Amino acid sequence: MTTASQPTPSTELTSLSSSPIEPFSPEPLRWVAEDGRPVRELPVRYTPELLRELHHEMVRAREFDRKLVTLLRQGRTTFYAQSSGMEATQVGLARSIRVGHDWVWPYYRDHTLGLAMGVPMIDLISQCLGTNSDLCKGRQMPHHFGSASKNFVSISSSIASQVPPAAGNAMAQKYLGTDEITLCTFGDGATSEGDWHAGLNMAGAAKAPALFVCENNQWAISTNLAAQTASPNIHIKAKAYGMPGFYVDGNDIVAVMEVCGHAAEWVRAGNGPALVECLTYRVGSHSNADADAEKNYRTRDEVNSWLARDPIARIEGLLAHLGHPVDAEERANLISSVHRAVDADVLKAEATGQPDWRIMFEDVYADTPPHLREQAAFVRAEQEGQK
Amino acid sequence: MTATQDRSAQTGQAQTGETRTLTLIQAVTEAMREELARDDRVVVFGEDVGARGGVFLATAGLQAEFGPRRVFDTPLSEASVVGAAVGMAVRGLRPIAEIQFADYMGPGFDQIISQAAKIRYRSGGQFTAPMIIRTPSGGGVKGGHHHSQSPESYFTHTPGLKVVMPSTPYDAKGLLKAAIRGEDPVIYFEPKRLYRAAKGEVPSHDYIVKIGEGAIRREGTDLTLVGYGGVMPDAERAAAALAAEGVSVEVIDLRSLVPWDRELVLSSVQKTGRAVLVSEAPRISNFMGEVAYVIQEQAFDSLLAPVGQVAGFDTPYPYVQDKVYLPGPNRITAACVKALNY
Ligand SMILES: Cc1ncc(C[n+]2csc(CCOP(=O)(O)OP(=O)(O)O)c2C)c(N)n1
Repeated sequence: MTTASQPTPSTELTSLSSSPIEPFSPEPLRWVAEDGRPVRELPVRYTPELLRELHHEMVRAREFDRKLVTLLRQGRTTFYAQSSGMEATQVGLARSIRVGHDWVWPYYRDHTLGLAMGVPMIDLISQCLGTNSDLCKGRQMPHHFGSASKNFVSISSSIASQVPPAAGNAMAQKYLGTDEITLCTFGDGATSEGDWHAGLNMAGAAKAPALFVCENNQWAISTNLAAQTASPNIHIKAKAYGMPGFYVDGNDIVAVMEVCGHAAEWVRAGNGPALVECLTYRVGSHSNADADAEKNYRTRDEVNSWLARDPIARIEGLLAHLGHPVDAEERANLISSVHRAVDADVLKAEATGQPDWRIMFEDVYADTPPHLREQAAFVRAEQEGQK
Repeated sequence: MTATQDRSAQTGQAQTGETRTLTLIQAVTEAMREELARDDRVVVFGEDVGARGGVFLATAGLQAEFGPRRVFDTPLSEASVVGAAVGMAVRGLRPIAEIQFADYMGPGFDQIISQAAKIRYRSGGQFTAPMIIRTPSGGGVKGGHHHSQSPESYFTHTPGLKVVMPSTPYDAKGLLKAAIRGEDPVIYFEPKRLYRAAKGEVPSHDYIVKIGEGAIRREGTDLTLVGYGGVMPDAERAAAALAAEGVSVEVIDLRSLVPWDRELVLSSVQKTGRAVLVSEAPRISNFMGEVAYVIQEQAFDSLLAPVGQVAGFDTPYPYVQDKVYLPGPNRITAACVKALNY
């Protein structure tokens, strides 16, 4: 028997049935076909102006990736994990939440999400370079930024370890009676970790306002989805935790914004958590430590087939279809303006220098205990002796 | 092997017969390849160890050679990797599980300390889990704190686990083979900054390095310098620098932390009268604290100076300042000088 405080999950899951956005759809929901033609009526808010803005943000993210790979080659940073191919998912996600109001527990491939949420590019670059302008003080490896002003919690390398804290963040939001939600992102590989299941289960049991989003780029380093899980997809796992699971074409920015936006508001309305799976593809290597993906574990044909589904080409197709094509000159100007902006921020960040040894001993605790003061004094003496 | 031969093998020098020069990581791969060929109970698995050959390529070529039944990728879950290894070992296999970075032992921690470490004891010896968890550890590769930590003390603190960390290709191969042929769960740390930096002679014939025996890397009479893993080349550099000043330092590589070679360390300290202990893990609850305790307990009368310790700082491992964090040769030399001038 179900008590009043325990409504049956089925009521929750079917309460969305009046919406065009159905949970547990067998195919990823999409609004725009690969060639840019709409396959459903476009909601009125997708004006050419908005679409151009989105296009601009996606191009900016892609070019940011390119420039960071160049910085790696120049030895100015030591690690980078590209998100090329995943722009529609991440830019779309940023548009699905209330930036600076809602909270985000991201994963390490989310710099495009950060950029699209308005984290200043120099903050991202400073973190990658570990300069004095790095808000995280050069402590984490490159590409692990965080931004308190955007409620964007500092990224951790440890896969899925952000999921239970995201559940807790959402529980606090509910406890405090806010109308905020928590967005928690992760890759497909992360869904195998115990922490992932623990976090979703906890959020589900607590009916916390958490939006879990799997950026399913189909590979966890060299492990593909079929080797990762016997589930046909990720969103179906939501059933086990009593929340709706949505399936979206993650290369269709309209679909991402429609479904994630809808799920976010459903979560915000107090219905409990939701899981969205954005099906996309990481076109580049896993990271610079994995430069020969094609040689090792995946085929050129597979990569090419996903290049043909490129999210930027798709929005350009849509703009063309609507009679507002992006011409070659406009694209070239856009690209070179991003490159110039990155170059300028790199110089600005580098000019601030590298944090010295003192940063090592700060922020370990709120107050520095005696043993750390002693260790800091030891290094000071050592450094002075070397002068 | 006679006792003398055994001791001399500990110097890391091959004795007789053919040898080749290998890097530490090649020695690790070779140990697995030979044991896979020797014993079909041996299986190798973990995240990305199959076609990719592991992120550091320690398992490169093994899947091609032995097939996906013996060498396979797992889902991204350290709890599954370690827990499954326990189950396989209980059922009679000899699992070699890879944790991609020691920093990610966290999600598998409960399986290591609650299952792997305790099944023999809690079952009255009815069930056992002979298995190996291999994992790259330590800093010096600009990895920041999630790719640089030295978590060995969490495991040395847990009864039921053997804990080893080689610093030479010879030991890497011999210790891994000993672990595979042993009857206990072994945490096998691989100092990742030595993967390709440490090169050495490795015999072509089959051999093992017994778990629990340390090695004298350099003989000396004035001070005993004890270390393990990634710090060893720096310890040897420090000893060489001191030798140039006329100080004779005996350098001991522990190789095994649990069990560790008390006899070797104590007899050395009884000879030299001074000890400096080096590791890169944070200082509080550092395994070397145990070594220091035993030295003061068993060799107090021989000591001419307090036991010195060089360790990592009690901070998370930093990215930008990773060189300052690591105890390099200068810091080791300074600790020796302090003990000598006491
Ligand atoms: C707990 C843990 N185990 C292993 C790793 C090493 N690792 C880093 S990224 C990665 C693959 C992650 O794949 P996925 O979650 O699908 O995200 P993607 O990189 O594909 O975006 C692995 C195994 C890690 N960072 N944390």
